[in-house]
Amino acid sequence: MDEQVPVLEFLGVRAGYGSIDVLHGVDFAIAPGQVYALLGPNGAGKTTTLGVASGQITPSAGSVMIMGTEINHVRPDALARAGVCLVPEGRGIFPNLTVNDNLRMFTFDGTSFSDIKERAFSQFPRLAERRSQLAGTLSGGEQQMLSMSRALATNPALLMLDELSMGLAPLIVAELYERVAELADSGLSILIVEQFAQSVLGVADTAAIMLHGSIQRVGDPAVIAEELTAAYLGAGFDE
Amino acid sequence: MSDDKTNAAGQKRLDEFAEEVKDLNVSGGLANPERTGSIVGIVLMVIGTIATVFYSIVKQGDLSASGTDDQLHELIQATNNTWFAIWGLALIVIGAALWIRNSLTRYLRYWLIRMIYEDRANTDRLIEALRDRD
Ligand SMILES: Nc1ncnc2c1ncn2[C@@H]1O[C@H](COP(=O)(O)OP(=O)(O)OP(=O)(O)O)[C@@H](O)[C@H]1O
Ligand SMILES: [Mg+2]
Repeated sequence: MDEQVPVLEFLGVRAGYGSIDVLHGVDFAIAPGQVYALLGPNGAGKTTTLGVASGQITPSAGSVMIMGTEINHVRPDALARAGVCLVPEGRGIFPNLTVNDNLRMFTFDGTSFSDIKERAFSQFPRLAERRSQLAGTLSGGEQQMLSMSRALATNPALLMLDELSMGLAPLIVAELYERVAELADSGLSILIVEQFAQSVLGVADTAAIMLHGSIQRVGDPAVIAEELTAAYLGAGFDE
Repeated sequence: MSDDKTNAAGQKRLDEFAEEVKDLNVSGGLANPERTGSIVGIVLMVIGTIATVFYSIVKQGDLSASGTDDQLHELIQATNNTWFAIWGLALIVIGAALWIRNSLTRYLRYWLIRMIYEDRANTDRLIEALRDRD
């Protein structure tokens, strides 16, 4: 088996907001088809990591590589068109537009509206029933489904999900992660960010713990999950 | 684990992706047609202004100052100068149109995003208020 070029790789990446550094040298690599879970507490720098990977934040040091090409200075819209799909924290939708009009927004990369509707509605039938409803009046889970249908509709090559489970009931979270697992089975490379490991255990191949802007542990999701729980319960990380 | 997962279709998409990202790195994703458009517009306006001023004032002034007796030659020269000046004016108009189109879209886009953003905040407040009622 020859070494495959990682889909996404961070090499000593430092980044932050203004003069404040948030990431202090982040290193990790995601192989093609891999599902990588990045776990960690509030303020660890998970969302910032995704911001860097999607081109919204320019790193101050280190390299961000996609398919072996450095993309430190590539613009986010160009990366999105190439196939980097970020489903942001909270909701990545327009609440004042209807479900249909939100789906229409996903035509930016040239996929036809009818294709997008078909893919989204077959994955999430609940959205079809609510197609003329204002997206802001959907339940939290339905909004997340709508946000995720961008990933299903636009055929990305790298998918990044920021706290899909935030504020949602476990049953809905399980349903969303079922879709993620299907995407993973189709060979898509996925970076999942979560605070808690439970929801990603069934999906992730590899998990990492991020703390204070750097990655502290990488390993089997089940093992990492236990360490993380212990750390949240106050045992802390032994260096 | 990842090897048997990446099937043929997935591999094709990956190759495509690698190719596109490589192109982006060369251009920095910065190939910006709007910027180019507005710069071309400005250049056209400058060239147009120079041409108009040159042919309508400088050349025409030279002509009347030259005081030759060849009336026909002078007439032809004057007509030519007028035509070049008109072409200069046309360049100014085209340049201005290009510039306005390309600089305004950028501004309008920011405006649209701003509006969507405010609308979103408003919708949030509205939904909150409605939820609080019941
Ligand atoms: N726009 C911003 N401007 C300034 N500082 C920011 C900004 N966004 C985040 N930060 C800071 O960067 C640090 C890391 O934030 P980040 O959002 O990456 O954390 P996170 O791991 O995603 O946390 P959470 O689980 O709460 O989403 C925090 O200390 C935060 O205060
Ligand atoms: Mg976050």
